[in-house]
Amino acid sequence: MNERDAVAWLHRRAGFGLPPQELRAAAERGATDELTRLLDPTGAGAPPDGDRWDDALLPLDPKDRPSKQHAIGVWVETMVATDRPLVDRMAWLWHGHFVSALDKVKVARLMVDQIRLFRSTGLGGFDELVRAVTLDPAMLLYLDLRSSTGGQPNENYGRELLELFTLGEGNYTEADVQAVARALTGWTLRPGEGVVRFVERRHDDTPQRALGVDGVHDLDTAVAAVTAHPMMVTFIAGVIAGELLGTADEPTVALLAEVFGAAHDIRALVGATLQVGLAGQTAPVVLAPVPWYVIARRVTGANPPARDALRLLRSAGQLPLLPPNVAGWPGGRAWFSASSLVARANLAALVAAATPDGEVLAAAAGDDADLLAEALGLSSDGFSDDSIAALAAAPAGRDRLAVALITPEFLIA
Amino acid sequence: MTAAFDRRHFLRLGGGAVTVVALGACTDATTRAPSGTLAAPGETVADSAATTTAAAIAPTTPIDSSGAVFSGRRLVVVQMNGGNDLLNTLPPTDSTYRQLRPTLAISADEVVALDGVTTCGLHPSLAGLSPLWQQGRLALIQGIGFEVPNRSHFVSMDRWWHADELGAPGWLGRVLDEMPTEPSPLFATALGSGAPLLNGRTVQPSVITSPESFRWVGIDPEWVDAMGDDPSAGDLAAAARHAFHRTVQAVDDFSAVTGGDATDDELPEREGGATITAGLAVAAQLLAADVGTQLVVVSASGFDTHANQLPVHAELMADLGDGLVEFMAAIEAAGLSDQVMVIGTSEFGRRAAQNASGGCDHGAGGFAFALGDGVRGGLYGEVDLGDLLDGDVRPTIEPTALMSRCLEWLGVDASSLPGDRNDALPLLR
Repeated sequence: MNERDAVAWLHRRAGFGLPPQELRAAAERGATDELTRLLDPTGAGAPPDGDRWDDALLPLDPKDRPSKQHAIGVWVETMVATDRPLVDRMAWLWHGHFVSALDKVKVARLMVDQIRLFRSTGLGGFDELVRAVTLDPAMLLYLDLRSSTGGQPNENYGRELLELFTLGEGNYTEADVQAVARALTGWTLRPGEGVVRFVERRHDDTPQRALGVDGVHDLDTAVAAVTAHPMMVTFIAGVIAGELLGTADEPTVALLAEVFGAAHDIRALVGATLQVGLAGQTAPVVLAPVPWYVIARRVTGANPPARDALRLLRSAGQLPLLPPNVAGWPGGRAWFSASSLVARANLAALVAAATPDGEVLAAAAGDDADLLAEALGLSSDGFSDDSIAALAAAPAGRDRLAVALITPEFLIA
Repeated sequence: MTAAFDRRHFLRLGGGAVTVVALGACTDATTRAPSGTLAAPGETVADSAATTTAAAIAPTTPIDSSGAVFSGRRLVVVQMNGGNDLLNTLPPTDSTYRQLRPTLAISADEVVALDGVTTCGLHPSLAGLSPLWQQGRLALIQGIGFEVPNRSHFVSMDRWWHADELGAPGWLGRVLDEMPTEPSPLFATALGSGAPLLNGRTVQPSVITSPESFRWVGIDPEWVDAMGDDPSAGDLAAAARHAFHRTVQAVDDFSAVTGGDATDDELPEREGGATITAGLAVAAQLLAADVGTQLVVVSASGFDTHANQLPVHAELMADLGDGLVEFMAAIEAAGLSDQVMVIGTSEFGRRAAQNASGGCDHGAGGFAFALGDGVRGGLYGEVDLGDLLDGDVRPTIEPTALMSRCLEWLGVDASSLPGDRNDALPLLR
């Protein structure tokens, strides 16, 4: 990969793309420098955190419909406008990993607070993140921990914590699930208040053996048993490699797990993963509708009507805050379903129609396919001959831009 | 690099070449598979290596000498997502029912009697199904579920979709994989949310989430299709082009059938979107049309009635009952009565006793049905409220038994499905 392609790759995988002039500036700085900037956007002169939600529009009311639209719409705009692309890319990644969903949580404010947690802690210590997620109000509601009591432990959260969030299937027993569920009893909240409380009489403090550790009886000991489990670093390294590299082969994951194992530092894991990618060890990844849409927005500078865009994202099968189930969105080729592709094409047209005059639109109006590929932040391999045939079939300008946004080169990072 | 288009100056050739591409795409996109045949011209043969692997799971799809698949037979699966409540769908006459559900039981004078059955009746909102029952075309199944149940929606749906062989293709997707050529795009269609039971390893169904938005807006499908279609490359980009190519055809076929009405697709109020009635209406249109549709899944949500169940479930049952009655009328009008079978499934039944919220929680043994001229009507399975499994109706009929009958209806050998109690549901004529 040349320097420009390396930087473009970084921003499509670990960020949300860059408009052409910013991509050129980043290429000037070089991939190593760009990776450092992505990983640590908190130094001197760092951009503000860019929280754009208005709490006044997010009442703790499960029946308030406008707050749901605000929560979803503003998150999309936050990703589009972000000056800290990796922070927001990781928040998006964790949303698909530590899943909660607005249709069950119902209170939009609590979902927003969970995303705020991912934005503030998503590149920090993994153990701290697991602890915070466990006590996150939206999560307490989504996986029923709030109604789990010593007398009647609810295993929903305990099971997913082990199966989907930290260890992976096959690395724990049913007894481990039950022991962890018991240790986590007592934490509850009233949705209308959104404040998590520990109620002693709802808690079962009996010391248990869980995941090979004796004396697990409360939140701290349970989180410690889970995060210290030898399979945790491998499982999480595999998740991050799968998301960012599109491949999770054994030697790579083992290498990354070793880096992660030192201090369970997510920033170190993500940095090492992206370095592996820059060294060329990546596989193609189908961009899910939301990251794809955000990249298209940032690259083109378009700002289409939000209502239409959200409706089409829903048809494409992905609205932020509404994953289909606790396993998150099925990725990869599942995004090639007929309904999803039609919605993507229509969304591409919506973006193209709203694209202001500038380098991208000029390239789409011109006669040089490589120039258009470059303006869109694609690799210098440019468009395939198949894609060029499609680009040529569309009239120059916005129509051709719409087609460019659904070529395999733009859909697949 | 092709001779026709220069990479750097692809437009300098002028409009002539562009027109050629567009026309080529147009011809391809508007070619429709004739009814009953396998595929549109130009479609490709499934990857042979994958076909060999899948052969261990499902036998070759039967195709008769005229080229008809399944001898023209069609199957519609109605998925009631969320866990439909068996006991209020077929209210038992056993007095224990009323004890378990003091405020949730359907009152005895409202229950619709089933001729010849003394143990249970029908939910009042399903009264419209009585004539079908009397004609012997409706099989009602109680206590269906996996012998060792799992009360998670997620796990239970997965088990239903994959015939309890997680990691394998969907139980109908396996059949798609065995087709000698890839079927036309609407051959297998999922209406509503996705339907993993139709997902093969190499062949995928057309998933149409909402019919209203399944149309091109602001983009010409001819441009999309100009990408071409050569899946032989086998990489993700080729898969994307192939998927777009099939989608162009699917939208074309679909709009020819439904009229492609451009309606306002305001978000529906009901969780999960479409109703069964709306889904079955589209299913009937597809089956009666000339687009080669033979497998349809209609899915609808809302059956997870943990609270305030009585009015919610009454509405769901009305949706199911009305939808089926209208569907059967449409199928009859199209002269397809002897070719279509409908089944209904749900991932589990609900707890026998009601909860504190006027609903009931996830249970085990559930409700299913089969409907059609080829169905031996009657009541299958049993409910013993005196012999519950951890508070749930004991599952006595394996889901794989119902799946076996469906495959047999289509003329496909079902012996590869797991389970040793699959013969226990003799509902085919």
